[in-house]
Amino acid sequence: MEHSTFYLGMIPLYPLLGAVCIGLFHVLTCKRWQVPPLVYGLLACVGPAMSFFLALRVFFELRALPLDARFFTYKAFTWFSVGDLHLDMGFLADPLSGLMLLFVTFIGTLIHVYSIGYMSGDKSYAKFFAYMNLFLGSMLILVLGDSPVVMFVGWEGVGLCSYLLISYYSEDRDNVLAGNKAFIVNRIGDLGFVLGMGFLFWAIGSHGFDFLSLKANAHMMTESSILIVCLLLFVGATGKSAQIPLYVWLPDAMAGPTPVSALIHAATMVTAGVYMVARFSFLYVEVAAAGMIVAWIGILTALLAAIFGMFQDDIKKVLAYSTVSQLGYMFAGVGVTAYSAGIFHVFTHAFFKALLFLGAGAVIYVLHHEQNIWKMGGLKKKMPITYCTMLIGALALAGCPPFAGFFSKDEILYSALANGHFFIWLIGVLVAAMTAYYTFRMIFVVFHGQPRDQQAYDHAHEAPLVMTVPLIILAIGALFAGFYNLPAIFGGEQMISHWLAPSVADQHPHDSFLLEFFVIATSVAAFAFGLWVAYKRFGKGAEEPVFTGFARFAYHKFYVDELYDAVFVRPYKAIGAEISEGVEPNMTDAPVTGIARLYMRVGTLVKVLQSGYVRVYAIYMVLGLGIMSFILSQSLN
Amino acid sequence: MFAHLLSVMIFLPIVAGLILLFAPLSRTTARIVGFGVSLAVLVLSIDVYAGFTATGKLEFVEYIPWIPSLGIAYHLGIDGISLFILMASAVLLPMVYVLFGTREKGYYANLLLVEGAMIGAVCAADLVLFYVFWEVMLLPVFFMLGLYGGPRKIPATLKITLYTIAGSLLMLAALAYLAVQYHALTGEWSFSIEKMGLLDLSGHAAALALFGFMIAFAIKIPLFPFHTWLPDAYTEAPTATTFVLSAIMAKIGVYGVIRVVMPAFEMEFARYALFFAYAGVIGMMYCGLTAIAQKDYKRLLAFSSASHMGIIAVGVFSMNVQALTGTIYQIVAHATSTGVLFLFAGILEERTRTRSINDLGGIASQAPIFALFFAIAMLASVGLPGTSGFIGEFLIILGALKFNVAIGVLTGLSLIIGVCYMLWLFQRVFFEKSKTASERFKDLSPVESLAFVPVILLILVMGIYPHPFLRKIEPSTAQYFAAATPVVAQATTVTPALAADLTTEKN
Amino acid sequence: MIHDYLVLSVILFCLGVVGVFARRNFFTVFMSVELMLNASNLAFIAFARLQQNMDGHVLALLIMAVAAAEAALALAVVILLHKQTGKLDTNVFSLLKG
Repeated sequence: MEHSTFYLGMIPLYPLLGAVCIGLFHVLTCKRWQVPPLVYGLLACVGPAMSFFLALRVFFELRALPLDARFFTYKAFTWFSVGDLHLDMGFLADPLSGLMLLFVTFIGTLIHVYSIGYMSGDKSYAKFFAYMNLFLGSMLILVLGDSPVVMFVGWEGVGLCSYLLISYYSEDRDNVLAGNKAFIVNRIGDLGFVLGMGFLFWAIGSHGFDFLSLKANAHMMTESSILIVCLLLFVGATGKSAQIPLYVWLPDAMAGPTPVSALIHAATMVTAGVYMVARFSFLYVEVAAAGMIVAWIGILTALLAAIFGMFQDDIKKVLAYSTVSQLGYMFAGVGVTAYSAGIFHVFTHAFFKALLFLGAGAVIYVLHHEQNIWKMGGLKKKMPITYCTMLIGALALAGCPPFAGFFSKDEILYSALANGHFFIWLIGVLVAAMTAYYTFRMIFVVFHGQPRDQQAYDHAHEAPLVMTVPLIILAIGALFAGFYNLPAIFGGEQMISHWLAPSVADQHPHDSFLLEFFVIATSVAAFAFGLWVAYKRFGKGAEEPVFTGFARFAYHKFYVDELYDAVFVRPYKAIGAEISEGVEPNMTDAPVTGIARLYMRVGTLVKVLQSGYVRVYAIYMVLGLGIMSFILSQSLN
Repeated sequence: MFAHLLSVMIFLPIVAGLILLFAPLSRTTARIVGFGVSLAVLVLSIDVYAGFTATGKLEFVEYIPWIPSLGIAYHLGIDGISLFILMASAVLLPMVYVLFGTREKGYYANLLLVEGAMIGAVCAADLVLFYVFWEVMLLPVFFMLGLYGGPRKIPATLKITLYTIAGSLLMLAALAYLAVQYHALTGEWSFSIEKMGLLDLSGHAAALALFGFMIAFAIKIPLFPFHTWLPDAYTEAPTATTFVLSAIMAKIGVYGVIRVVMPAFEMEFARYALFFAYAGVIGMMYCGLTAIAQKDYKRLLAFSSASHMGIIAVGVFSMNVQALTGTIYQIVAHATSTGVLFLFAGILEERTRTRSINDLGGIASQAPIFALFFAIAMLASVGLPGTSGFIGEFLIILGALKFNVAIGVLTGLSLIIGVCYMLWLFQRVFFEKSKTASERFKDLSPVESLAFVPVILLILVMGIYPHPFLRKIEPSTAQYFAAATPVVAQATTVTPALAADLTTEKN
Repeated sequence: MIHDYLVLSVILFCLGVVGVFARRNFFTVFMSVELMLNASNLAFIAFARLQQNMDGHVLALLIMAVAAAEAALALAVVILLHKQTGKLDTNVFSLLKG
């Protein structure tokens, strides 16, 4: 067994080795000769591609296993063992991680290929690819980790890589600040994760701290401690997956190169939170309150981000808020204990969001890094492939049947309603309409109508093949990925739900044909409504609007960034400065300097006695002797 | 290899240092001799490490009676706790000789002296011997800081010296108290640290003695609020001294708590542990918050070092095997990360002639290797998984959580506080646009890079595969909490039983 | 009988003390010190006579030896000081003034 599962460890190792190789190769050669960038690009694609093939192997081996024992592990070495804490550097393949592996490596590889084209003009090419490989490697550790702590290694690893890649254009202060923000906000979430792990360990960790043992021993925990652990872990998820209140970093993360955005939003990083909640589903199902909090945070985030998304004028920010919003759906799904629905949406979302980002990247690339949609327009004719593929992505995102996003979103909404969460469903439908609106607003403004910047338009052309091929592949995915989990109403057999069943603790509602039909009908209606409004407003060209009132408020993202700045960042800095300049010298150090000063003062007083004349010292001596004799004679009497 | 290995490791550098100090040699010769001797110590230490069998008892014991009438002996020995501090000092010192080539002869000589004294302090198994080395340790620092320090070196020197001497005197009194108590208990005189474990002191006098020790160690660590000498001393000291102070000497304070205070004052220690743990946590937050307001990168690192020492202290006071093991691990991790950051700061200062963060920028594009190494050390210091810093910090947080939930949560805050100032520093110095001071920043030369490579590798290896290291530590720390000879048995009565709270059976 | 000797000794000692306090010339101060030493010698001898043993004599001899040694050293110091400054005034030498 040991031998045959060895390749499981190789899956994250390939990209990590790729990163190390690229880095070393670059360091050793950069001083002497110029290596053609293509070398790095190809080198970078090898690791992810190898991982993808191994992921396929994992998938098929899992399928060969019987349903009730559909997992295998690989323990590379004992990681650390202190007291009753035993941790292995172990990897776990089960249906959940198997599915994640497949699309993470697949989309990751495509994004790497695409990057060869996108980054072709960049001077620190090697660094970029090293980070990208590291990013993917960390994500694979996260997915495969067989204990929360190993998962946490990947968890923090993706945080680090996002920092490095967001602040990739580090000459510009704003980019670096965005990177800092991402890392620090993620760290706030990580604190929750670490504390959650701590409580979990002291509760049941001494019986084994890997997922399988935890799952087996979860029944020993009290309900309140499960709730604490679940909520703390969810704090981690809000940080990583950009949910209220820690979503603020993701829109700013657009400062990085576009392939990075695609990687962050589609394949790696942000889906980690959903994955983690699904991983811990054995805890979340135990306490309904935890699930409810997750679901409500999710759906409210979806609503908030959709509102923001409707008013953005940066093409990447529109997509960024759409990601936040879709992540909200996923949390709503896992919150209402429809874990497979949540993961299914992660799966489909990965395709169409990667597609949209890479398409947006192609647009940005040909327009020489112009990101404002109000400077684009009419690009349909110049970039037909990009347009078509992005249209497919947009339809999938907006939830138009039969594209991928429709089925997954529908399943979440259906689960919410069927499990009796009416308001979550209602908000979900509302958000679906808004999603259709802002997605097609973007499509119409960018690709339809008249060009707004004639000069840029004239120079525009279709992106090179290395960029369009990944787009086409992803478009196929966005078209068909939804069919993998076709619900019974369309004659499907919910392959993904069944596949995931051994890993996640789904609570299936009673199938109700009528209810399902109702949900589908409302979803389609919501989509159609959103599309219609967008078409009315932007379908035939529109000028950049001037926002007033609520729109202005939403355009500025409800001033949440400013609020956080005023409530957290500034006071933090002010306290630091106050301690440094006020408290430290005047209070903490005061006793020390005070003692020194006391010595000085007493010394100045006493130094009068030190006349320097021998005679005077003699007088002191005699006086002293006299006093001593006097005391002595007194005591003798 | 041969007997008296520890004695050789102690006295080889001391004798060589004294000879260097008095012999009329050029600075180049002094540097080469210093490098050679420190390398020899490194080789010996590797021999010790390889021969160390992790039984949990003292190994490599040497015993020569010194003042038999009082039971004072020249008694050396190491266990898993001291081994790692010894290794840290042996591994890190040679780097300094490679990196800084333009210093006076006395500088190199004093470095050797301090190395010998530090090794002596961690190897000493006798309280008086410990005290002697403890005091000797301060002397070279005094001279290095006072002679070769920055512009405000004199106040800094006075402050650190007076501070530590005040602490030492309290320790001396407490140490005498221990011996007297031992004499009262058994009728024989002894200063052996091991035997002090037989004592179970409680009451007012014991509490006073406990505080005597604790103040001495708290000053060295430094624990809030006794840290005020640190920013001045760390900032004004020449790089190597700051490095020695932060990477190793501070750890000997922690070591003292573990080795001397914990076994001898079981009851009183457990009673005040929460208080000290709060001191550690407050120190962590206080110094971490202060760091963000610094304009001088060396001072920022000084506060960061103090902040991390707060965490390490929490590990000691949490009184369970995870936290204590984590502490020892974190000691090494801190030495190889925050300590090494001071070396980078020294290089930065030497090449840019400024210590102001505002004067720097864009170094990452000028000097990618320097930036990479700095980043790895920085990430280890903020405890990123995959680096040595994570293992220690995670174990400490885990242990602190068991000890006291509030302490655990506050300790966890270091995850956030640490990145705030470190990222800010990295942004201002390494990213953004180049400024005049950093415009022609030279990257590390191959020799310099090679000097850093072992430490950088150590950071990564200790983060990825910590098991072999922990295996050497754990038997010694586990003994503190072993059921048969419970050194801190009473601790369990004082700490709330968190685990029981979490796992009561349902239904 | 012994009383008279002691009174004389005290008078001599006080003279010496006053001399040290009041005079500024090195030699006068020095002679005053010698006077004090000899006053104590006188007291020792007187007590020795009273007790009818030799203890006091031993001490007296010791004091003489010390006084001689002291004289040799102190005079050398005085000569050196005089060489440096050309003065014999104790007030000139007040380096210890705070």
